[in-house]
Amino acid sequence: MSRGEPVWVTGAGAVSAWGWGVEPLWQGLAAGTTAIRRPDRFDSSAYRTRVAGEVPDPPAELAGRFSGWSGWSWADRFAVAAAREALDRAGLGAERPAELANATVVLGSSTGGMLEGEEYYEGLRRDQRSRLRLITRQLVSSPGEVVARELGCSGPVETVSSACASGTLALGMALERLRAGEADIALAGGSDGLCRITYGGFNALRLVDDEPCRPFRRERAGLSIGEGSGILVLETASTAAARGATPLAILSGAGASSDAHHMTAPHPEGEGAARAVSRALVDAARGPGDLAFINAHGTGTPLNDVAEWRALASALGRVAGQVPVTSTKGAVGHLLGAAGAIEAVATVLSLVHGSVHPTAGVGEPDPEAPVDLVRDGTRPIERRGAAVSLNLAFGGCNAAVVFEPGSPPA
Amino acid sequence: MTAPRTVVVTGVGALTSHGLGLSPLFDALGRGEPLAAPIDRLPELAARAASARRAARVDGVAWDEWLARRAARRMSPPSIYGVVAARMAQADSGLEPGEEPDPEYAVVLATTYGACSYSQRMLDQILDHGPEGISPLLFMESVVNAPAGQVAIQCRAAGPNLSLCLREAGPVATVGRGAAEIAAGRASRALVGATEEMTPLLHGVLDQFRSLSDHPRPLDRRRDGFLAGEGALIMVLEEEAAARRRGARLRARVRAWGGAFDPTAPCADWGHDPVPLARSIRAGLARHELAVDDVDAVVCGASGSRRGDRLEAGVLRDLFSGRDLPPVYAPKGVTGEYAGAYLAAGFAALEGRPMAPPAGFGEPDPELGVTPSGLAGSAPPPAGRVLVTGSAAGGSAAWAVLERVDQP
Repeated sequence: MSRGEPVWVTGAGAVSAWGWGVEPLWQGLAAGTTAIRRPDRFDSSAYRTRVAGEVPDPPAELAGRFSGWSGWSWADRFAVAAAREALDRAGLGAERPAELANATVVLGSSTGGMLEGEEYYEGLRRDQRSRLRLITRQLVSSPGEVVARELGCSGPVETVSSACASGTLALGMALERLRAGEADIALAGGSDGLCRITYGGFNALRLVDDEPCRPFRRERAGLSIGEGSGILVLETASTAAARGATPLAILSGAGASSDAHHMTAPHPEGEGAARAVSRALVDAARGPGDLAFINAHGTGTPLNDVAEWRALASALGRVAGQVPVTSTKGAVGHLLGAAGAIEAVATVLSLVHGSVHPTAGVGEPDPEAPVDLVRDGTRPIERRGAAVSLNLAFGGCNAAVVFEPGSPPA
Repeated sequence: MTAPRTVVVTGVGALTSHGLGLSPLFDALGRGEPLAAPIDRLPELAARAASARRAARVDGVAWDEWLARRAARRMSPPSIYGVVAARMAQADSGLEPGEEPDPEYAVVLATTYGACSYSQRMLDQILDHGPEGISPLLFMESVVNAPAGQVAIQCRAAGPNLSLCLREAGPVATVGRGAAEIAAGRASRALVGATEEMTPLLHGVLDQFRSLSDHPRPLDRRRDGFLAGEGALIMVLEEEAAARRRGARLRARVRAWGGAFDPTAPCADWGHDPVPLARSIRAGLARHELAVDDVDAVVCGASGSRRGDRLEAGVLRDLFSGRDLPPVYAPKGVTGEYAGAYLAAGFAALEGRPMAPPAGFGEPDPELGVTPSGLAGSAPPPAGRVLVTGSAAGGSAAWAVLERVDQP
């Protein structure tokens, strides 16, 4: 199957526990510290754990920039803000760029406006009155719809809700649409907000650490829930070049699979995840020897990190222990439906800056998951090559994407 | 350059208010009669005036032959409906799963609301007992992709696994997304379709928006809402050459697909601009070497929604501008909205099965300019190509063309 012309990443936007924008995200990631702390969005005192990667209050000007702001859920706001930043950085700064008229929007989300939906239901139970407006934002499809509506997009708008693989799957779906000629430009990524159901549910499964998560560390004890959004502007090379845009990176491949094994535990040998990585590399026409670094799923749960190491070993062979590996989750938490999206932004930023951000978290690496973990500071990208971003999800979903440097070799 | 891979439908499974499989759906479409049952009103919403009290429910439909009750105990209703329909589809296709998971077998399922009964129960647990009262099983099955995950496990499908949320456009969107996976070589087979549960809370909330009606009248001047439904309809898609080699019955070819968005749509209703979807269909048909004149029949997503039906009709008027409309079927008046049951009408049209206008239709709406076709007991000639459309509240829209296939 012809892969068609290259697909460029021409813009990136992010909202994370480090703040609103890619600049605070990269500064926080590069510093190697964590933004995971006690959340204020809801009262966490009765939960087993009390830390999360919560997004701080937005800059005051955002509410003024978007007329619908007060009626949106937090996930909607994250998505619109990230999309707007990505477009500004792509040189598409008009309020409704003409180039977006037929754009496709593909976002991942696993909770959407569930926090607002929880508020609606609580009000209903309390006094049989509740604001209908709250429930209208509850759907996981809402962030993508709000972005498309705000920007005047009339191309296909899809929301994929495959748990923690959603954001990466969304990037792959957008790549496929661009290759198929169904659109010339795409906004792709994900957005998710903290909510009590998810926070409590992961605690009920005993998957959450009461300290900020420590991916690939021997003493790791679970994940940290986070929230936010990551969105990339993807364009066919000819479309972007025609308007004078330059690539931050190239999205060169995507792969997906299912473990078909268990609803919450990954396949112990990482078979499905290995297939996703292998498929992404084949799709990108690259091999294990072409890799410069990996942005792992790296949740910090005992099972995930070992399974992921086994997946990488299976997919990459002897190269697996030699390719630098980082996890974004130690810094900003697990953004669930937006995890793959924020990690894709982090991967692109690493390529742009020529260095891989360290994996935040304390403790010695786990010898059972002997990845070449980037820690204690950024590590320069020593060899020009591709980067893989990988995610494993509830339900056994796995997804991987391959990025390559956007600038030509020096 | 290798020839592009074409995609066919080799099996269909369904769990709907009309029963199991396509046969009861075909019978219902032939009569034009929906099958709805009373649905409880949530106590918190009981005091409010209700427009609708009924839904197309699957209570009482026995699905035990497809899923053991013991296994179902660990599944939410949407997971149960999805697994039942998926297994039925696999049996219908003659392609039973092997012992080992098949890495070439994708799953693409749509849902709008997910396992809302489980989410509601978890909220009750939090409110009544605090967050430590949450049941881990409820949480596992409350995630939107739980049905797709369960289908993958039960049907040994280890390929790409996607859960799409495009509201009322979701079911037909999965057909295009699944076909795209196979056409691009990322899978050789796919289980695609939709699953949904309709709970008293969800029904009550939809009724608060004046969305619902107990007597859906798609495209009728007096229409006042859609019939909420639940259940699942799932198809097996296969790469055509492989399906022919194994001697499969080919129910249809998925010939073309696409999607669009209407940015005039508010978050809780349909929009008013038919141009995006009409333009998408024209462009998509051309991309797949078809023209509007190649469409012999339309299965539209009109459900009885005031604005939704207006939009669906507007799309067809735009698309067929200057031409006579082909027969237009509006099966959601029989199947209800959600869970994809209306897709059965596409197969009915390809097979030349009789389909009656929805019961209750009596007054064409001159503003719409589209009248549902069909006559009870009268079998039309089999359609060569059927355009299936689905537009959603909030703005998303999708479409696909099903094509009649010469049997091997």
